Amino acid sequence: MLATKVYFRYRRGEPWVLDDASLDLSPGSVAEITGPNGTGKSTLLRLLAGLLRPVRGGITGRPPVVGYAPERFPSAQPFTVAAYLRHMGAVRRAPVPEELTARLGMDHLLGQRLSDLSKGSAHKVGLAQALAGDPGLLILDEPFAGLDAQARAELSVIVAEVAARGGIVVASDHQGDLRAVPGVTRHEVRDGKITQVALPVDDDPLTTLTIKLPQSRAAALAARLRAEGHEVS
Amino acid sequence: MIPLVAFRLSGYVRSHRIFQPLLGLLAVLSILYATGVPAGGELPSYADSAGILMLVFAWAARGLLDNEPDEQRLIAITAVGRRRELTAGLLAALGLTSLLALTAVVFPLFVGFAETPSGADLGYGAGLHLLAVLAGTALGALTSRPVLASPAASAAVLVGGYMAILLLSSASPWASVPVLDWMNAAHHDDLPQRLAVIVASALAWSAAGLAGYAAVRRVRG
Repeated sequence: MLATKVYFRYRRGEPWVLDDASLDLSPGSVAEITGPNGTGKSTLLRLLAGLLRPVRGGITGRPPVVGYAPERFPSAQPFTVAAYLRHMGAVRRAPVPEELTARLGMDHLLGQRLSDLSKGSAHKVGLAQALAGDPGLLILDEPFAGLDAQARAELSVIVAEVAARGGIVVASDHQGDLRAVPGVTRHEVRDGKITQVALPVDDDPLTTLTIKLPQSRAAALAARLRAEGHEVS
Repeated sequence: MIPLVAFRLSGYVRSHRIFQPLLGLLAVLSILYATGVPAGGELPSYADSAGILMLVFAWAARGLLDNEPDEQRLIAITAVGRRRELTAGLLAALGLTSLLALTAVVFPLFVGFAETPSGADLGYGAGLHLLAVLAGTALGALTSRPVLASPAASAAVLVGGYMAILLLSSASPWASVPVLDWMNAAHHDDLPQRLAVIVASALAWSAAGLAGYAAVRRVRG
């Protein structure tokens, strides 16, 4: 997927939000979008998702199945979590897997009304609907905001899994949790341009940790630790 | 697309916003049929009902299209594509307004008409309500949030637009949706002769309105 010399502004006469911005996203890539507030990160995500059209330039090679989780899930809707996910599964022609709601720690929320959810819980619903149907392009706007530690770790694993099967993941991330995903690249939006920046080198010395746990849980923990960027042998 | 239509309708009904046009519908039907309609007055009553209820249909369509939050509309666009999302919204609005229109056509058969109208009058009445459904849905879509973000401006344009339609239709059947023209024709036993012009004008204006809505949505999302 290629964004080439993209120019975008919301109204004629206003300053450009993106000005000659380009981004190359190959299958299986995970891109972290950073930048100060108000520089156009969410606008870039919406352009990549196909929700906005560039004024000039173009975006080509967008995968047919797109999952989009907005920064603020619209919880002001008259559905329970289960009913909403059932509807969205039907709309996407791919039901939200029960395993996914379990991994995100939201099984106990299924009977609750969307309007009663906390911000973090509502955010999980937004993530679950975006992940239905094995998206080839997953757009996540601040996906870790408000999530508990377990859900943050699990989301990193899920992102790594989407990339492992060839999907493209693009996410804005102020928390920095996405850096735990192997192979993530970081792109900064500033002054209308997109620049790939190097991930910070951690000069913390390495140490080896031995963990004892039931054998049945070893594989899951190993996968989670790998997704967080740790070496597991 | 059908699951998205069902989702939109379900959200609208569950939000209880459906009571607003239902109350409007019942108020209009009560006023029209409270004193009863003598034999021979069925078609003029249907024509008045269709003309007046166009405003209720527009209000219902606008309410349905505005019911879901903007972020949910974005989610739906990524799920099914821009064109299907737009079509699903309009189909849901047409389904809702058609249901209201069906109620308006059936209601006086039980409460209001002294005699059951002839098959032809029933057909004309249903057809005029269908024209009102199309025109009302187009007016509602043109005043929905993606087109007019301000609720106050939207309500004012919706009511003002309906009044403008009434005023313009008194000048010529082609000047706007020919509401006054079909009322006038029905009251003077002239509807079959003027029907072709009335249908053509109403369909053309409704199509123009819906095309305008689609054009704005293409730019604004």
